[in-house]
Amino acid sequence: MKHEITENEIITMTNQVFEESFEIETEKLQPKMNIFEDLGLDSLDIVDLIVALQQKFGVKIRNDERVREIRTLEDIYRFILSLKNEEH
Amino acid sequence: MKRVVISGVGAVSAMGNDVSSLVKGIEEKKSAVHYMEGWDQYTGLRSLVGAPAKLINEKAIPRKNRRSMGRMSIFALQATEQALADAGIKHEELTSGRIGCIIGSTMGSAESLNEVFEIMLPQKDLTKLPSMKFFQCVSHTAAMNVSQCLGITGCVIATSAACASALQAINVGYDLIRLGKQDAVACGGAEELHPTVTGSFDVLFATSANYNDKPHKTPRPFDRDRDGLVCGEGSGILVIEEYERALRRNAKIYAEIIGYHTCGSGVHVSQPDKNSIALCLREALASANVSPKEVDYINAHATATIQGDREEAKAIKEVLGDSMPVSSLKGYIGHTLGASGSLELIVSLAMMEKGIIYPTLNLDNVSPDCQGINHVMEAVSKDISIMVKNCFAFGGINSVLVCKKL
Repeated sequence: MKHEITENEIITMTNQVFEESFEIETEKLQPKMNIFEDLGLDSLDIVDLIVALQQKFGVKIRNDERVREIRTLEDIYRFILSLKNEEH
Repeated sequence: MKRVVISGVGAVSAMGNDVSSLVKGIEEKKSAVHYMEGWDQYTGLRSLVGAPAKLINEKAIPRKNRRSMGRMSIFALQATEQALADAGIKHEELTSGRIGCIIGSTMGSAESLNEVFEIMLPQKDLTKLPSMKFFQCVSHTAAMNVSQCLGITGCVIATSAACASALQAINVGYDLIRLGKQDAVACGGAEELHPTVTGSFDVLFATSANYNDKPHKTPRPFDRDRDGLVCGEGSGILVIEEYERALRRNAKIYAEIIGYHTCGSGVHVSQPDKNSIALCLREALASANVSPKEVDYINAHATATIQGDREEAKAIKEVLGDSMPVSSLKGYIGHTLGASGSLELIVSLAMMEKGIIYPTLNLDNVSPDCQGINHVMEAVSKDISIMVKNCFAFGGINSVLVCKKL
C-alpha cells in the first residue's frame, strides 16, 4: 500500500529544502516566517525553490499560479498538502 | 598617455592559495602535477594527469554571491581579494566607477557546464535546471561574479581567448588606464580543471599521455621527451594602476607595463606559427620602445606540445637571439590556460624582485628542434630590468606583454 505523506513529513521535508538549498538555520524555520523578508530569498531563489520542491515531493508546480501567492513557510506546507490531497 | 604600473598581486594555484606558496613551490622546484583519480572512467581519455588547486574557505563568501559561482569564479574572487589587499585598495574605492575588473577565461565553469548536461540531456528535461547554472557557465562568469561580489562599478570586461585570455585582460586594462578611462583595474585570468577540459586537448593529441605513472615528470617544456601539455587550474589577478596614483598612495610598485601586442596568425586554428609569434614579439617590443638587446628575460608560453615549443623557440631565436635567458613555468603548475598569463606573470615579477630566474622544470635534454636559445635549466641570479611574457592560444591568437622594473 502506498504511504500517504503526513503534514509533519511535509514540514520536515520542506524545511530540509530551506536548510540544504538556502543554508538557513533550523531555528529560523518557523511557520509564520516570510520567505522573502524574514528568510531572505529573492526571485532567483524562487526558481530553485520550485525545482527543489518538485524533486522532493514528486509534484509539478512550475506553472501553477498558486506559487505566486506563497509568502510564508506555512503557505508552502499548505500548498504541498493540498497538492497531495488532489492526487487522491 | 598615462603610465601604468603593477601594484598588487593575488594567486590561487595548484601550489597553494596565495602568491607566496606559488613562488615558494617553484623556488623549491616542486611539481604540482598529480595522477587524477577517477579520470580513467572516461573512455578514450589518454592523459590522466593534472595540476588541481584546492577550494578552500568558499563558505566565507555570502550565499547570495557564492550561488552564481563555479570553482573558477571562487578562485578568481579569492585571487582578486588578495591582489586588492596587496595593493592597499580599500573596499570603498571599488564603488567609485574608476576601478575596473577584467578577467578572462577559456569558457565558463567546466564543472557547472557538465552538471547542466547531466541534468538536462538524459531525458531532454529542463525542469530540473537550477537558476544559477547560467551564471556559472557564461564566458564572463569570473569577471561578473568578482565585480558583483566586491561591488566594483568600473569597467567590467571578460576576455575570452583561451590561453591568451589573461594577457589580453591585462592589455585591455593597460589601455583603459593609459587613456584615462580607469584609475586602476583588477585584471587577469581564471580557469578550472576538469576531465572534459583535458579531454578537449586530448582528442587533438595535444596532451601528455606517457607520464600517467610518473606525473611529476610532465609536462616537459622544450625537452626532447616532451609529449604534450598538462592542464592546471586557478586564478592570477594583478592590480594595475595609473603611475602617479600609485606614487601618491606610496604603493609598492612591482613593475611598469611598457608595451604589448596581440595578433592573430591567420594561418591555422591549432598549428602554431613561428612567423606570427615573431611578429607579435617584434610589435610588443616596438610598442615598448625596447630593442631586443635590452630584454633580460623572457617567460615563455611553452606548454610542452611538440609543435608549440618548436615554433616559440624558433621565434624567440629570430627576434631575441641566442643569449637572452628563457624559461617556462608549465612544468611546475601545468598549463592553467586562461589563467596562465597572469599566474606566470606574477611569478616572473617575483623573479624580477629577487633577481633570480627560475628554470624550466623537467627540461633535462633540450630537444634538437628547440635549440639555439638560452634555456635556463638551473636557477640563475640575474638582474632583470626588462622582461617579456608570452602567451599563445588555440585559434592562432598571440599575446606578448613587456614589463620594466622601476
